Order: sequence, then structure tokens, then C-alpha cells
Amino acid sequence: MAAKSGRNGLLDKWKIDDKPVKIDKWDGSAVKNSLDDSAKKVLLEKYKYVENFRLIDGRLIICTISCLFAIVALIWDYLHPFPESKPVLAFCVVSYPLQILSQLYQKEKSIFLVAHRKDPAGMDPDDIWQLSSSLKRFDDKYTLKLTFISGKTKQQREAEFTKSIAKFFDNNGTLVMEAYEPEVSKLHDSLALERKTK
Amino acid sequence: GWPRSGGTRGRTAMDLFGDLRRMNKRQLYYQVLNFAMIVSSALMIWKGLIVVTGSESPIVVVLSGSMEPAFHRGDLLFLTNFHDDPIRAGEIVVFKVEGRDIPIVHRVIKVHEKGNGNIKFLTKGDNNEVDDRGLYKEGQNWLEKKDVVGRARGFLPYVGMVTIIMNDYPKFKYALLAVMGAYVLLKRES
Repeated sequence: MAAKSGRNGLLDKWKIDDKPVKIDKWDGSAVKNSLDDSAKKVLLEKYKYVENFRLIDGRLIICTISCLFAIVALIWDYLHPFPESKPVLAFCVVSYPLQILSQLYQKEKSIFLVAHRKDPAGMDPDDIWQLSSSLKRFDDKYTLKLTFISGKTKQQREAEFTKSIAKFFDNNGTLVMEAYEPEVSKLHDSLALERKTK
Repeated sequence: GWPRSGGTRGRTAMDLFGDLRRMNKRQLYYQVLNFAMIVSSALMIWKGLIVVTGSESPIVVVLSGSMEPAFHRGDLLFLTNFHDDPIRAGEIVVFKVEGRDIPIVHRVIKVHEKGNGNIKFLTKGDNNEVDDRGLYKEGQNWLEKKDVVGRARGFLPYVGMVTIIMNDYPKFKYALLAVMGAYVLLKRES
């Protein structure tokens, strides 16, 4: 096989998706992020679900609009110095926190993955899997919750586990997938199994 | 031996890039957006204060000792500038001289008021020997309402020294902003 072009090679070196995850074990948010990411990986790669970006895109769009409002306020104020800019400024300033609030309300649920399982026959609507998690500050107990919403019956089922993060990370801060992946799969299979017996 | 092996509490530069390298396009955009949101929030809070107080500069720092013992260099002043506030002799106002950026905090010592509400007033720093006519524009002897930035409604002593230091040593200010900006851009939120 011919050698990759220089640019592709650099990009490959930059992405470290396939290397084992290594983080600072004392950094709570890094621990939670890596556990969340790995749970995502299990659902997307092992079970081949398709990620639905609508939730995330919605948040990104709201934030971008908020920033646009701020930029508009800045430029308007620059062109028409205060006090002529008062109404425009007032409008932007009031709408800005409203957008932040709507975004915080969404974030409350702490769902970090929405994925679809496409029906292989192509007839029924997709099943939806949602992942959310929590890890309290300075605590070692990580809770992962998996929610299954059937495409056909619209029924919702959930399962969760709470384990100490010490079970999944080794002394150096490397995530041990051999310990974590079975837990996530067990969670998934417990919900998938119920579906089959119904 | 001690139980803590390997990484210590501090994050190295490669750790920070490690987070970035694992991110997809959306997450990278979110990092940039996060930074923009912080800047926008600060901006909106400032503009909000401007709207609510009616003053173009609601928070100012006292730069000189010309109003001692009432205000000292480094004091932070909170201003309002409501249209109907009367200007009376003896009150402290913050004003800008036409053509100059820097607001001045001095006391009103003389006021001429017409029936229709037009006002001409003269100011002087408590700690100064002479009135401010030397500071006004060439040929200008009086200040008018449009020159007023606001009146002090509250103050915090010493807090403004940070601003003075950052203005005297701009490199320090840029270094601080650069470090804070880099931290927000590189650190991943959960």
C-alpha cells in the first residue's frame, strides 16, 4: 500500500481514539468524561447504534445564538454610542440569560448520548437508547443510567448501576476496558432481554 | 511505599491536549463556544449594568489623590446617571472632558441653572488648590449635563488597585488573559 500523504499521517497521529484512555485519576471531571465516552463507544461500536445529534446540536445552536446576540449588542453599541443604543442593548441583555436558562434546563437531565437502533427490516420506527450519568464532586461512586424507549410501543425502560470508579481505573489512571465494558453490556442486555420476552 | 504512583495532581500540557485529541468536531466546537460564552456573558453583564444605571461607565476607578480624604487612589466607584437627578453644589460627580477618555471624579462647587433645566457647573477636587478650569477644553469654563458620566452611589476601597496595576503593566494583563483563555479553551467541561 502506498504511503499516506503527509497531512493524513499528521491527522492520524493527532487522533488517539484507539489508544487506551489515560487521565489524571484525581481529576473528577476527567474521570467522568472518560467513563461517559467509553460507555458511548460500547453502544456505538459494539452494538452498532447510530448517534442522534439533535440534543447536542440544539444546545450548540442556542449557545451560538446567545453569542450572536452579544456580538450584535457590541457592534450596535459601537456604531450608535449609548444612550441611543439603549433599546437594542436592553433587548439583547434580557434575552441572553433567557437562553442560558433554557440551556441549563436541558443540561439538568445530564443525558450525554441519544442513539438509535434502526430496525433491520426497515418497517418499524427506531428504538431509542439514552445514556446519562452522574459522579458527585470528590465522590468515587459513578452512576450510569441507560434508558430504552421502544420505537414500536413507545414504552420506556431504564436500568442503572452505581460502582466505585476504582473498579474501572488502574493505579496509573488508565481506564481498563476489560472491567468496564462488561458492566455496560450487562446494563444493555438487561434491557434488551426484557424486550425479547415481551 | 506511598500509594500514589504515576501522575501527581497537576495536569501537564500533554494531558490537556489529550482531552482535545479525543474530541470530535462537535466537542471541539463546544470548547470554542464555551470560551465565547464566557466572553459574551462578561460583555452582557457590563452592557446590562450600562442600561440599568444609565451611565456609560457604571464602574470607575479613582486614579488620583485629588479627592482625598473622601476617595483614595485605587477606590472603586459604582455610578448611576439618571436623567432627572439634579446637580447641586457640594455633590460629587464623575465627568469626562470633551476629547479625553479618562473620567474625573470631583466635587461640584458652582452651579448656574436656567428655568428650562439647562445647567452649567464648575468642579474642583477636594485636595486640589484650584478649580478644574485648567482641565477643561480650551476656552471652556463650565461643564454641562452631557459631560456627566454619573454620580457615585457606592464604593469599595482598594479593589480598583488591580485595574491600576494592569494598566501600568499591560504585559501582565495580556499574560493573565492569555493563560485564562488557554485554560478555558483546552479544559474539557463535563
